[in-house]
Amino acid sequence: MSVQKYTSKDSVPLPPKNAEVLTTACDYCIVGCGYKVFRWPVGQEGGPKASENALNANYPVEPLSGKWISPNMHNVVSHNGQLHNVVIMPDFDSKAVNISGDGSIRGSAISQRCYNPTTPTYDRLKSPLIRVHGTLMPVDWDTALDIAAELSNYVIAKHGEHAWAQKTFSYEFYENTYALTKFSLKYINTPAFAWHDQPGPGGATEGLDDAGYQVFAPAYWDWGNSDVLFMSGADPYETKTILFNDWILPGVRERGMKLIYVLPRETTGVAFAEKNGGLFLQITPGTDHVLHLAMVRYIIEQGWEDKEWIAKWAANGWETDAGFGRGTRNTPWQWRTTWGGVFQTNGWDDFKKWLLEQKESDMAVASGITGIPADKIKKACEMIAKPKADGSRVKTSIGFEKGLYWSNNYLNTLSMGNLAMAIGTGGRPGQMIGRFGGHQRGGMSGGGYPILKSPEKQEGRRKKPIDLDRWVMDEQVRFAHVVGTTWTSAMSGSQVLQDVMNKLTRLNPHQVTSLDKQEIIATLKKRVDSGGMVIVNQDIYLRDPIGAKYADIVLAAAGWGEDDLTRNNGERRLRLYSKFYDAPGDAKPDWWIVGKWATKMGFEGFDWKSSNEVFEEAARFSRGGIQAYDSLVWVAKKNGLTGHEALRKLGTTGIQTPVLMVPENFTENRPGQEYVGGVDAKGNTYDFLKWNGFKVIGTVRVHDIDRKLPDTGASVRTFARKWYTHFNTHTGKINVLKAAWSLYSDFFDDIKPKDDELWVTNGRINEIWQSGFDDVERRPLITQRWPENWLEIHPNDARKRGITNGDYVSVTSNRVPVQKDYNQAVFSGDFSYAGLKKQGHIEYHTASVSAVAVVTPQVKEGVTWMYFLSPKQSVNSLTPMVTDPYTNRYRFKLGVGKVTRMGDSPYKKSFEAMSFGRRNIA
Amino acid sequence: APAEAVMKSYGRTKIGSISALKEGKPAKFNYPDKNTENFLVKLGTPAGGGVGKDADIVAFNSLCPHMGGTVTDGGYHHADGIMGPCPFHLSTFDLTRHGLIVAGHATQALPQIQLETKGDDIFAVGVMGLIYGRNANLG
Repeated sequence: MSVQKYTSKDSVPLPPKNAEVLTTACDYCIVGCGYKVFRWPVGQEGGPKASENALNANYPVEPLSGKWISPNMHNVVSHNGQLHNVVIMPDFDSKAVNISGDGSIRGSAISQRCYNPTTPTYDRLKSPLIRVHGTLMPVDWDTALDIAAELSNYVIAKHGEHAWAQKTFSYEFYENTYALTKFSLKYINTPAFAWHDQPGPGGATEGLDDAGYQVFAPAYWDWGNSDVLFMSGADPYETKTILFNDWILPGVRERGMKLIYVLPRETTGVAFAEKNGGLFLQITPGTDHVLHLAMVRYIIEQGWEDKEWIAKWAANGWETDAGFGRGTRNTPWQWRTTWGGVFQTNGWDDFKKWLLEQKESDMAVASGITGIPADKIKKACEMIAKPKADGSRVKTSIGFEKGLYWSNNYLNTLSMGNLAMAIGTGGRPGQMIGRFGGHQRGGMSGGGYPILKSPEKQEGRRKKPIDLDRWVMDEQVRFAHVVGTTWTSAMSGSQVLQDVMNKLTRLNPHQVTSLDKQEIIATLKKRVDSGGMVIVNQDIYLRDPIGAKYADIVLAAAGWGEDDLTRNNGERRLRLYSKFYDAPGDAKPDWWIVGKWATKMGFEGFDWKSSNEVFEEAARFSRGGIQAYDSLVWVAKKNGLTGHEALRKLGTTGIQTPVLMVPENFTENRPGQEYVGGVDAKGNTYDFLKWNGFKVIGTVRVHDIDRKLPDTGASVRTFARKWYTHFNTHTGKINVLKAAWSLYSDFFDDIKPKDDELWVTNGRINEIWQSGFDDVERRPLITQRWPENWLEIHPNDARKRGITNGDYVSVTSNRVPVQKDYNQAVFSGDFSYAGLKKQGHIEYHTASVSAVAVVTPQVKEGVTWMYFLSPKQSVNSLTPMVTDPYTNRYRFKLGVGKVTRMGDSPYKKSFEAMSFGRRNIA
Repeated sequence: APAEAVMKSYGRTKIGSISALKEGKPAKFNYPDKNTENFLVKLGTPAGGGVGKDADIVAFNSLCPHMGGTVTDGGYHHADGIMGPCPFHLSTFDLTRHGLIVAGHATQALPQIQLETKGDDIFAVGVMGLIYGRNANLG
């Protein structure tokens, strides 16, 4: 039996002295490490002496030098039509983020992402494709976009803009997201819009947003400079590699920082935490909310709450209401914070009274629901909240991610905010709360979401954004523009969604049988008029099934390294990702594709000539937001530079947004200031960032309550926001909202495992993290490690089912709840899970995926775990296709299923691929 | 003009003997030159590239191919066949599977030293993968 094997090379070419050097940042996870690109023509090579290579390094280099080039850092690409070597490596001169020149297993192999026809990237899309007789055939851009434009206009005119949908990424650079949303939201103005990771628009962590926290407030400095770091629903070792390696790990080793993890699964970071005085709260999926209730209550009962902080920052009922309640209540954040006391309190004392009445806040009850021993919960409270002997407080930061807000979106985030409030976390250096983050922050909206057109609402006038998946299932979408997402495997109930898409596209009788443009248009018009759907899929590879099976038109996109593009990382650090090689074939950047398509539809303002033009146009729409960079572009232009040129000069340090304009003599020195960017080695602002007595500065963290900003600035360019130094509410205080378990327990009780079912939860892994679009199938290093999706199962659960390492198992559920219809609530409780069930809106479907068994005590008994985003073995097939009624977000982490042994996988006996080794060694 | 290509090949060097190896106790040796430290270990379970009658004797370079930490300092977990964690950033490697990364940051497996046996003698005959710090294993 043979399985995929890969052996690394035993040499690597060195960049010669005359190699060109460009800067970029990694394209994968949110940490966004700085990278250098060395580029030189093939046929040349540097030597191992410092005088002979562009790194000025003598080989062999020392450990931690940052100057070792692994074979996976080298590739051969086309640049201006000529073959060039590239070495893409962590920036060993980096002044921020990966300051040691450290890199992850993903970023350090990112050169393998570049198109090279001799590598597994050979099948990058190189031109538009049109499906004829079921086969996708190459065509030119005008043909493809003429058809897309005419059909779009037809669908909008005949079926309404609600029938024209866009499902797109929110991260692949400002230039692209701005162009895409200017097209769909501003010009087409469709409410049928959703980002890649949620079924409708809006925030990901609304509970914290409603309380007033910007979830990307902290700087990486804060994560390494706390006394205790409380982490929920993520292990940054697995999913924030360099944040862990370069900030958290030194915090533990050099400053004695303690780590507390709340996860269902013991990962490497957990093992490291426990070895270094930390704590592991191994939680039952979906019960974080109860843990928070019990922790806040216990802290209050011990008198450990931060009374001074609460007195100063907790809004009372009137203050909460004053900001929102007097206007219209037709946006979700308005109605949620003023909804007849469902969430609203009259301030901290009222909240406290309510909390003490909740039976789930009782330690014994909470311990039973969460599966965490009470003494561990108490110990965690003591670590994060108990004042020191001298009365001073422990500096605790709270970091969280999808394990928290993708199991119980609104109530988990709301209750997490209460925990932060109780211990005085948020607003001070080393005492921050925020998301660790997933993808980098590349979303810049070119238009607002037309919520008044959304087909959904709660009772009364309380509007909700659309659930686009349900809108598709209702057969309301006639045309879908799908950009850079698999859609189906990324959304809950994947197999149910696939069945519907298949029906609306491939099984529709109107199929293209000719390359004649008018005939194609006529056929597809008949398709949409008959109730079918046309999909245009824009991506870098042909994705199965969205592109390979359902799309009639596929558009070839260019991306990272193939154009100059910009984006923020997880501490709001804005940088230029330089173009350094030619895109494959005739692939084009998304902004170009959208510009041409929109122009063909008759829209004006889309005739951009370069990505910089889009970047500069988008700048003014960034104002007032956490990603504001308008001042930077404005000053750069005053100094004769383009926006991109200014960023190129700022290299891998970039600058932390929001970028503000202040008088030139203003200085500040917040903790972490040395990493903020925009200044030279002496800390002086670069000349190209100064103009007429003013300069632009970055922002280390927001909600920085002790930051003193100047009274006057160049107000024309800077939107002064209260939340720079307060919180993001009308009063600048924190809204104290209550989160009752009863608002969720109807769903939880129905979904939790019954009989011999197990939880089938999911997550990410260091080797594949925000990189699965690229490396899972196309990087031998990674396909050897994880050739297929796998299921981690506890030895006791495995034994009962006769399962051992390397078995193929079927993971099957006939209880996948799907909300099949209904979008306008009339009476209170209509949208609750119990209400939907009572009225017959919930249907149970069957779904089944295969996986390779990994038997390990790392995962909690009764809980299994799969990798989150495998298109072929999609764990989301098993997760409920019913959203959180308050925020329209899926509970992605709460799949259940029956796990059955099928037979041996090829990896059971082979030594060549897949390891069953445990990850909890530290 | 480009220099004429010269084929370089790894030498065959005796690095230990089967009878002297104790199961689960890594032993150090140098290869392909005297400055390069590797370890030899009898896993007690068959392994990719393993030699000896049980195909369980394997050898690897000692430097983590992430940033050059000495993985043997992190310890060998005999029950798991895992080397590490690397003392720098906690990478671990599966010695039963050609040094494949279990968890961590290295962009290649731990370089495996290819072995042969003759009678009781164990010989190193090659290296799979680039050793940390170098631009080429053979200079």
